[in-house]
Amino acid sequence: MALGQEVAVGMADIKVGKESQILTTVLGSCVGLCLYSPSHKVGGLLHLMMPSAGMNMANPDLKKAKYADTGVADLVRMIKASFGVQSSDLVAKMFGGAKVLQGVERNIGAENIEAVKALLRANAIPVKASCVGGERGYRIKFNLETGRVICQIFGNQPEEF
Amino acid sequence: MDESQQVQRALQLIANLSIDKASQVLSKSIKVGAKIELENVYVADISKATEAIMVSDEGDVVGAYVDLVGDMPFKFLFYVAAEDSLTLTDLMLRKELGTTKKFDIYVTSTVQELGNILASAVTNVFASDFQIKMRPSPPKVVHDYASTVFGEYIMEAAADLNEILMIESQFRVVRMNIKCRMFLLPTGDTQKTLASIVAAA
Amino acid sequence: MPKRIITVDDAPIIRLMIKDVLTECGGYDVIAECSNGREAVEKYKELKPDLLTMDIVMPEMDGIQALEEILKYDPAAKVVMVTAIDQRDALMKAIRLGATDYIVKPFEADRVMSAVQKALGDLK
Repeated sequence: MALGQEVAVGMADIKVGKESQILTTVLGSCVGLCLYSPSHKVGGLLHLMMPSAGMNMANPDLKKAKYADTGVADLVRMIKASFGVQSSDLVAKMFGGAKVLQGVERNIGAENIEAVKALLRANAIPVKASCVGGERGYRIKFNLETGRVICQIFGNQPEEF
Repeated sequence: MDESQQVQRALQLIANLSIDKASQVLSKSIKVGAKIELENVYVADISKATEAIMVSDEGDVVGAYVDLVGDMPFKFLFYVAAEDSLTLTDLMLRKELGTTKKFDIYVTSTVQELGNILASAVTNVFASDFQIKMRPSPPKVVHDYASTVFGEYIMEAAADLNEILMIESQFRVVRMNIKCRMFLLPTGDTQKTLASIVAAA
Repeated sequence: MPKRIITVDDAPIIRLMIKDVLTECGGYDVIAECSNGREAVEKYKELKPDLLTMDIVMPEMDGIQALEEILKYDPAAKVVMVTAIDQRDALMKAIRLGATDYIVKPFEADRVMSAVQKALGDLK
């Protein structure tokens, strides 16, 4: 695999990888959750859309990555299955959850942020960095060599987390 | 032919007529020909569709969202590269190209109004060719990453589905290499309504 | 004395386009611009213009409702509706209510002028 190979993660998707890979995604009201093991240099990115699967939980065709409650569990499970890393080895960085469309009552972005925070607390995964909210999109690049994330909010300069 | 194939065929017919009408009114609005470059009805996996836009690196866009409400609700999206929206503003205002240099309310409202006019052209096709009553809601405009604009567009439809049925088209403004993209997404009970219309025909 | 016009449309570009046409023609002053029907009703009562151009699809209050309220206030009000291609049901309703004329988007400058001039009796 080429050094620094970028792999895009679409909406309602999870990708896991290891050093030499850079997971990338673009967010609006969706939240991008990066989980990383500094000791093993492996991790994954979940691009989730909604806070909870709710009634859809019973649906076998469900894309688990769509929802925070099923997606976070799936991301942890995939990292463990792929690399043998336990959740106690993981740290989190979260991004996105913006309210891009104005004049809409529901703030899904804010709901996603709260849902992810609660799930990380429940799983005892510390949040090392968080850049969330606002009204603009986010472009993030998660480097699995270093665990660092470059985040660029639309209209702003990129920042490293 | 099963029901979903029939629905797709019906949507293809709607697409042919709507996209044709939309390109005519776009040309009339900016006084420059707009050629149809793409016309497609397909089922899109939400992850793959959004990933494809990320990878294509369309950059910044200005997009107009319109809800088409009525007998067969659709969601409509029209977007153009941010730089090209400056040129479209000059064309709308009949000014010399290069006059508009910054993103102001006239640039965003150019895309807003083009979205309104094109969405109305689509509802006109529904009314005149299919006797289906629809009306456009006031457009919402967003200037952001292309993936963000597209992601917010499919959010509601993608909430309960892994795959969404979509009409996609692309126009090229001749002599200027400006690409405009237009999408129609059936929402609510539209597919069921279409299926029953096709079955009754 | 220039005729006093208020333009009403949620798209600033449309208000600008109409203003440019009227300015180029001469004899017309755009004294206010409104982005929805509610503002249009308030401004009409405050400024009592000679004519309004009124979009139909707008947030908060649409052009039909605004037209109704303005005509209730002043049955002699001159209102030219500005509509995109397929708002014909709304347009017919507007004409029945008492709108003076209509312009269809996308519009040409001379169509705007002839509608405004005809409404104000300025056509020679």
